[in-house]
Amino acid sequence: MRLGDAWAILPTLAVDDQNVALEAARLQALACWAGNFTPEISLAAPLSLLLEVQGSLRLFGGLERLFEQVRASCAAQGHLCHAALAPTPRAALWLARAAPGSCCPDSESLHTALVTLPLAALDLPGKDESRLAGFGIRRVGELLKLPRAGLGRRFGAAFVMDLARAIGEIPDPQPRFVFPQRFRDRVELSARVEDAERLNFAAHRLLLTMCGWLAARGCGLLHCVLELELEGGKQEAPIRVELGFSDLTRDPERIKRVLRERLGKTRLPAPVYALSLSADAPAMLPGRDGSLFGERAAEESVVVLVERLQARMGAEQVFRLAVMPDHRPERASQAQRQGGGLAVKTPVAPSVIPPRPCWLLSQPEALAEIKGAPHRGGALVLLAGPERIESGWWDAGEGAGEDAALGDIRRDYFVALSPRQEWLWIFRNAEGWFLHGLFA
Amino acid sequence: MAFAAPSLPLAEVLARNDIWRGDALASAALPGVSSGFAQLDAELPGGGWPRGGLVELLHSRVGMGEVSLLMPALARISADELAWVVCVAPPQQPYAPAWAAAGVDLSRLLITRASGGDAAWACARVLDTEGVGALLAWLPTADTGTLRRLQLLAERSRTLVFLFRPASAASAASPAPLRIGLEACAGGRLSLRLLKRRGGARAQPIDLDPVRPAPLRHVVASPASSPAAARSLSEPADA
Repeated sequence: MRLGDAWAILPTLAVDDQNVALEAARLQALACWAGNFTPEISLAAPLSLLLEVQGSLRLFGGLERLFEQVRASCAAQGHLCHAALAPTPRAALWLARAAPGSCCPDSESLHTALVTLPLAALDLPGKDESRLAGFGIRRVGELLKLPRAGLGRRFGAAFVMDLARAIGEIPDPQPRFVFPQRFRDRVELSARVEDAERLNFAAHRLLLTMCGWLAARGCGLLHCVLELELEGGKQEAPIRVELGFSDLTRDPERIKRVLRERLGKTRLPAPVYALSLSADAPAMLPGRDGSLFGERAAEESVVVLVERLQARMGAEQVFRLAVMPDHRPERASQAQRQGGGLAVKTPVAPSVIPPRPCWLLSQPEALAEIKGAPHRGGALVLLAGPERIESGWWDAGEGAGEDAALGDIRRDYFVALSPRQEWLWIFRNAEGWFLHGLFA
Repeated sequence: MAFAAPSLPLAEVLARNDIWRGDALASAALPGVSSGFAQLDAELPGGGWPRGGLVELLHSRVGMGEVSLLMPALARISADELAWVVCVAPPQQPYAPAWAAAGVDLSRLLITRASGGDAAWACARVLDTEGVGALLAWLPTADTGTLRRLQLLAERSRTLVFLFRPASAASAASPAPLRIGLEACAGGRLSLRLLKRRGGARAQPIDLDPVRPAPLRHVVASPASSPAAARSLSEPADA
């Protein structure tokens, strides 16, 4: 049908030019996404993908379930997908064209499916197709019944070979899709998005593609970058959303959770019209064995918890504690930020410790002194002490910020009880009395 | 008649965990974690700090021993059960040597500073996580709706949840099944009033002796005033 005829029938018809480059790019991205299911992928240009799934059946719980998952996952990305499953790649292509949804696990069911398949599925040159129609052949089943020698004389040896490949009589090796070294995928949004949280859905497709790329290469990531391209031309630099993980991962759910927290905190100065996700430097992440008792699952879920908390509150706000071998109170306790997994070894604590408070004030708080006694809501009663803690000249003046203030100290520490029954850790130095900790 | 319909025998109904006689303590679905104080364990349903529900600790001041009260249970959870202890929005920086000395395994202690709504959000995420044995959260401004959400999450987990709240919250309604008012009294003791528990109410407070940093009788002599002290400090210690 010519375009003019089409417009005559449907004047409101909207026509888009075919963008071959974009289609090829999408097919590449889909091939990466298919890495979620199998590493054996080949591109059947212009618009088809072949997935060799024999090796993945057990992992995904059987043929039907795998087939369903592939189709659902493809549809969830917004693609209209015609899929079919067959013992040979060529037959799978034919079935996908003419009878999408067919699932033929063995050659008997393939033969049954081919018998009723219309000849158009073979995508023959028009000359051959009309010639076959002249023979009275409408379906593939009828074609297969004809003697091969005669078909070879009339249509060429290649035609007969194709038929033999389709029904599995001779092998049909396919060129393997080569996964790129670096991942970069971009998606243009169908509508301008002004609310960062609504980008989650669009980003999901990119994440699935990236996770497929990682799975097929047997790799994991510590870090990837999502760029939000803003409307307003070149002057608006894209917003970079950096996603970091505490250990190597390729779990789409985990990446998605971190992304959701980061997007939730992102403010958009202008509407977003495209997203691009890039990742390089993936590192080998071997597959996991199922564990019998699930301890590893518990350990991993804490890793995921840390990531989510850090993504929302900031990496500085989530930490663990370690006892450091230093006699000065400020230096004896150190916050350890996560990074590269949870397996941070804490140094061994000294065996003998005089009483130490649960809470340490970040800055000692000056106490009033009345008649020689420290006051906090009344005169404090000293219960234990003094414990002298002094010196530290070796790092006086080094470091930055609050560390620089510390260094050489000279203090007498006491345990004190306030009239309000608060148990306090206070010290006295040349400047007077200070509250430093609370025995909560 | 509705009453003639065959119904569950009374004994079966009473065997449920969420139904109890008014004059007896409820039984708990999961055994509690011993608090380390026999006197307190005897008064708690399940024989210890209950899992699967909020425990609200109402205290007027920081530093009266509210964390020391929990230390025996936290040490058990982190060292024996190898589970994580998570602190959300603590009022001050936790001091590692003290927690280590109390027996908490620092490699399984996680601390999150958070403010306002983020603290409640963090609590919810922690309760979603497997492998967390105890959650300590300071939520001074949480409203009833937030507490109810946390209670529902807590019921689905095995985590011990301690919420530290100001004493002024005692009069407000709360979905927490166990609420304890803390009062420090003279002599270093900590007095616990069971404001709410599953089972009969208890009017008398329970007096406990948490670990204190110093014996009360050993009172040092009040030292001289600071200028003099500063002078004495500048001299050698044994002069």
